Amino acid sequence: MSASRARSRSVRTCCVWCADWPVIAARRHDRALQGAALVVRERIGSRELVRAVSPEARAEGITRGMRRREAEARCPGVTIVDADPALEARTFEVVARAIESLTPRVVLERPGVCAFPTRGPARYFGGDHGLAQRVGEVVAEVLGHDREHIHVGIADGVFAARLAARSARPAEPHVVANGASATFLASWPVRVLGDDALADLLERLGLRTLGDFAALAPDAVLARFGVEGRGLHDLARGFDAGPPVLVEPPPDLVEQVELDPPAARVDTAAFAAKGLADRLLARLAERGLACTRVVIEAETEHGERLSRCWRHDGALTPATLAERVRWQLDGWLTAHMISRDAQDLDVRERQDMEAFADVDLDTTTGALAVLRLIPDEVVPADGRQLGFWGGDQVGADRADRALARLQGMLGYDAVATIVVQGGRTPAEQVRWVPWGEPREPRRPLVVDGEVPSWPGAVPPPAPARVFEPALPAQLLDAVGRAVVVSGRGEQSAPPARLRCAALVSGDGQVVSWAGPWAHDVRWWDTDGHRRRALWQVVVKGDGGAADAADIACLVAVEGGMAGVEAIYD
Amino acid sequence: MAAVVVENSGVPRRDALALAHLAEIADRVRPLVAATERLLPVPGLLGDALPNGGLRRGSVVTVDGVAGMGATSIVLTLAAAVTAAGEWAAIVDVAGTLGGRAAAEAGVALERLAVVRAVPANKWSTVVAALLDGFAFVATDVPVRCRIGDARRLAARARERAATLVALGPWPAEAAVRLHATTSQWHGLGDGSGLLARRDLDVRVEHRGVPVHTQLRAG
Repeated sequence: MSASRARSRSVRTCCVWCADWPVIAARRHDRALQGAALVVRERIGSRELVRAVSPEARAEGITRGMRRREAEARCPGVTIVDADPALEARTFEVVARAIESLTPRVVLERPGVCAFPTRGPARYFGGDHGLAQRVGEVVAEVLGHDREHIHVGIADGVFAARLAARSARPAEPHVVANGASATFLASWPVRVLGDDALADLLERLGLRTLGDFAALAPDAVLARFGVEGRGLHDLARGFDAGPPVLVEPPPDLVEQVELDPPAARVDTAAFAAKGLADRLLARLAERGLACTRVVIEAETEHGERLSRCWRHDGALTPATLAERVRWQLDGWLTAHMISRDAQDLDVRERQDMEAFADVDLDTTTGALAVLRLIPDEVVPADGRQLGFWGGDQVGADRADRALARLQGMLGYDAVATIVVQGGRTPAEQVRWVPWGEPREPRRPLVVDGEVPSWPGAVPPPAPARVFEPALPAQLLDAVGRAVVVSGRGEQSAPPARLRCAALVSGDGQVVSWAGPWAHDVRWWDTDGHRRRALWQVVVKGDGGAADAADIACLVAVEGGMAGVEAIYD
Repeated sequence: MAAVVVENSGVPRRDALALAHLAEIADRVRPLVAATERLLPVPGLLGDALPNGGLRRGSVVTVDGVAGMGATSIVLTLAAAVTAAGEWAAIVDVAGTLGGRAAAEAGVALERLAVVRAVPANKWSTVVAALLDGFAFVATDVPVRCRIGDARRLAARARERAATLVALGPWPAEAAVRLHATTSQWHGLGDGSGLLARRDLDVRVEHRGVPVHTQLRAG
């Protein structure tokens, strides 16, 4: 990857991680589980695996990912409950609300983990350390005696922040200094990238840590592991700019549904939400977009507005989006029911419970009347949309693989796509964008709905061969002197002959011409200032029948030197 | 359908009427995935001049002509037809002189066009072979010293991958279709006045050695 690959800087992010969240959620739900050795299991296929472990059970030697039977063998008295993602999400809502009192930009990753950019709040709370401390306190307040599970980390980018949170101790946030993410990441094992197949391979190659992986040449990684490998390599090097290409979400893509009668039950609201999610993603797909972050918004019958942002690694599918909407609705609609059940508990516990149930859960006073999905972050989904006969996905993947191989072989800039942009000469009117970069012109053809004018621009048709720099040539008048242009932009004499190596015979007679168009390029700029004049000429060779054809050229004279800028091949 | 008298002998008759009937049946039960499925249609005058009106997948097409006769424009027209059909196209621009604006004006879907620029001579055949793996249409400048062995290998690769290889320049090996841009005539430019507006191209199309002549109007 060459230096020209512009990388936007990673966004400084704070990540809050509540360890063993399924355990906390289960205990919140059923207080009898408090203090017991507890395991949350999930079914994957026919296997029952341990999803989360309470500290008591961990002390007995049970770890995550273990078989249920093995866990029971290690600790015969262990209590086992089933995983309930909806419950986990619903319970996590209070943590999200607590953090929302500090920043409005909380993004939920999954129940137990959320993140937000620190830029604004860090200033307000006196730097990253102050902010991290404050976040820890606020969350500890609502979680009560589960405060031991809270980990807060701050680093550049979501990936590094997540790891910083994992390495933080409770009540002791880990703040990775600005720009030190690469060093921080270097000692982590490659497993944390979350791609087991790649991690296996890297370990077999002897690359055990992210530092080892990051030390590989980017071109080599791209050639060997493709685009996904390049993305993970960037993460390992501390570049975490989020999705590579962000597009401003079109404003009219908000999907909304009015619920009449208002939905007080989760399943009625979730049913409406399912259709909403399908519609939103279908409309995005129509425009070739996919959604990575979505804001779920609801209005209650009393007119309150609730909103929460969910993020997903990779594009949201209808199923994952509907799941998240359901979790969120569950969080809003049932959170206040928790406080009602807390009648006969002792005072300490009740206080804890009330704090947990969010001081002002009256935000959700009633049923939901309006439900809205707003795409917050959309990316182009070239690879996802189906082509006219379903072949585009396959075609795009094949093309991507071939080009990634070539970029590894020839260098990142060698494979390009064409972007047409504003400019005067054919060379200026095109930007060659390396494959994989956002296809954006440097000088857009349309700025804020207006078309900028380029006085003296060469009109269409455009030449098919453009020489950059121009090929040396001689533009001569009828008596054999070089044609030059005066300060007023007038030519010394009409052009009559053109000599250039690009012509077949090397020399031709000008049969028709137009010009000169004088360009005063960047006259305000002492370094970039150029003056040149352009002619369109049609040349015929002097020779036999083969030479009788027209050759159209674009000729420029600059500083007394002529050159062929382009041939209309 | 012609009325057919079938005798009860059970033996197929051999007269003209029966043969015509057989031909009609053969025409009806012909597999539908025949030529059209393997064809990338090219609209316009150029398509009319091509055999079956398009580019056959897996074949080699050569385009040649001295600079200024319109060979590059013909390649761009072909690329435009291919990308318009939803396929992906790649152009190997050995010298790095392809005009991007002209590609846009020819109607190429630029987001599905990859251009490989400034290819070193010793890597040219590897690059083209890699592109044939991933693209339905690969157009390439033919380098000055292109060996016939390389050319044949690439043609075989194109056939195997069902990709169309368009060679721009003197192609040393066999080709299904050869297009020769012979003359061009520009209109619109006067003696110190006017602008280049449109041109007529003369293209000689050679299909299995049989020449067809056509005149194109570009721009």
